[in-house]
Amino acid sequence: MTDLAFAGFLAAMLVLGLRRPFIWVLAYAYVDIVSPHELSYYIFDDIPLSLIVAPLAIMGWLVFDKDKSFHISSTQWLIGLLGLWCGLTTLYAEFPVEAQFKWDWVWKGMIWAMFLPFVLRTRLRIEAYVLFMVLGPALIVIAGGIKTVLSGGGYGSLAMMVDSNSGIYESSTAATIAIAIIPLILWLGRFNTIFPQDWKVKVFAGCLVFACLLIPIGTEARTGLVCIAVLAMLMLRDNRRRLLFIGLAGFGAIVSLPFLPQSFSDRMGTISTYQADMSAMTRIAVWRWTLEYVSEHPTGGGFGIYRGNNIQYTTTETLESAGATSVQQRVVVDRGRAYHSAYFEVLAEQGWAGLALWLTLHAVGLLQMEIVRRRYRKERAPLGYEWVSPLATALQHCQIIYLIGALFIAIAFQPYPLMILAVQASLAMYLAQVRKREGFKPLAETINEPGTPRMSKALPGTLT
Amino acid sequence: MIDQFVLLLTHGLMLLAAWRLLSRPDLDDDNAESAPDSTNLDPKAQQP
Repeated sequence: MTDLAFAGFLAAMLVLGLRRPFIWVLAYAYVDIVSPHELSYYIFDDIPLSLIVAPLAIMGWLVFDKDKSFHISSTQWLIGLLGLWCGLTTLYAEFPVEAQFKWDWVWKGMIWAMFLPFVLRTRLRIEAYVLFMVLGPALIVIAGGIKTVLSGGGYGSLAMMVDSNSGIYESSTAATIAIAIIPLILWLGRFNTIFPQDWKVKVFAGCLVFACLLIPIGTEARTGLVCIAVLAMLMLRDNRRRLLFIGLAGFGAIVSLPFLPQSFSDRMGTISTYQADMSAMTRIAVWRWTLEYVSEHPTGGGFGIYRGNNIQYTTTETLESAGATSVQQRVVVDRGRAYHSAYFEVLAEQGWAGLALWLTLHAVGLLQMEIVRRRYRKERAPLGYEWVSPLATALQHCQIIYLIGALFIAIAFQPYPLMILAVQASLAMYLAQVRKREGFKPLAETINEPGTPRMSKALPGTLT
Repeated sequence: MIDQFVLLLTHGLMLLAAWRLLSRPDLDDDNAESAPDSTNLDPKAQQP
């Protein structure tokens, strides 16, 4: 029954795309984010959905889109370069089979991210794509939120609809993405034009934000708690009533404390006792191994190189019994441990050059959004473009939360963050097009044109 | 039961969004006339 519903949904999307081919782009976003083949029981098992929908979306753009522009943004160039570099390291990977397996999904995400800025060239398209980037994860967010309220959840035990630990269905990734999409939800709640802007949209957005905040509690992923703290700090940036916001956030945290399950408090308590925590100590040992590895192999070892690690670390635990304190040390030997950090993932697999490219890619995204954010801020925004600065802020905050979450999870090449970068590039390119279309010239060029008022010579009727 | 409800809700919303996009000329052309003003979407307020 569920399979038929999925098939029906996808068929409906593909049929609607016959009238508006852009809907095929949204259909691919859905396939890529939700991975319906993970949720279905048998229908999609043998059907390579992404290989059907992606060519359809690209073909729809090539054949039916009227105002095509082939201008390539810096983000697209950087993704392309990173892709080429990853392809090269895959050829010389130390674990060729495993590297090929990862490369098979990495290149798809990269090609899609490079394609998006070509097709997201109107305000409504950008908005629709952002909506799907929210409604896709909303599937696990709402289900996870309801289950957390009913049962309390637990690390790795919160049933994410599907028995999968990949993509957005992995606990820590789900917690990070859930918090990262909150700024996008808030933006859609204020500026969405697809649904009538009434109380229903506001209530849904509010409930969705609440469900997002429950995911780190439900999954008991410590990364999620860190992300919530970062989100709170970011929200202070544009908040006029900062003190009220801090007061309300503090009050909310205190009120919610008694309702948090004991297992959650216990697990979050391990953030400060990391020396006794094997999970945390493993990470530090793997990161140390990575640094040693790249000092010998500066170009990286290709995808999946973590399989070659061999680590040893000591856990220290202070025990108190009958008034006496004893320190217990244990030596743990392990091999083939995952990176638990996107930064170390890129460094080990792609070397220093890969890490430089990846960091530049993200720095460009952050900077681009900061420029847009300031250029269109409040009274500076032309009439009808009041939505621009808040969207740039939301996309930037979404990326920052991802970058913080990525400190603790190896999600460097996941398609979702690449999509965030692609939407950022699309917004910047769209605005450049608008400025060109509307004859906008930079101040430096217009200042010397005849008729431009000078600050030194007051215009008649103006106050001096 | 929860899963079925959420599947229906999110997929229903995505489909409804796609359906509503069909009647929006500004999906493909930003200058199309029916592009609603993002700051005022109340249909009553747009009436003369």
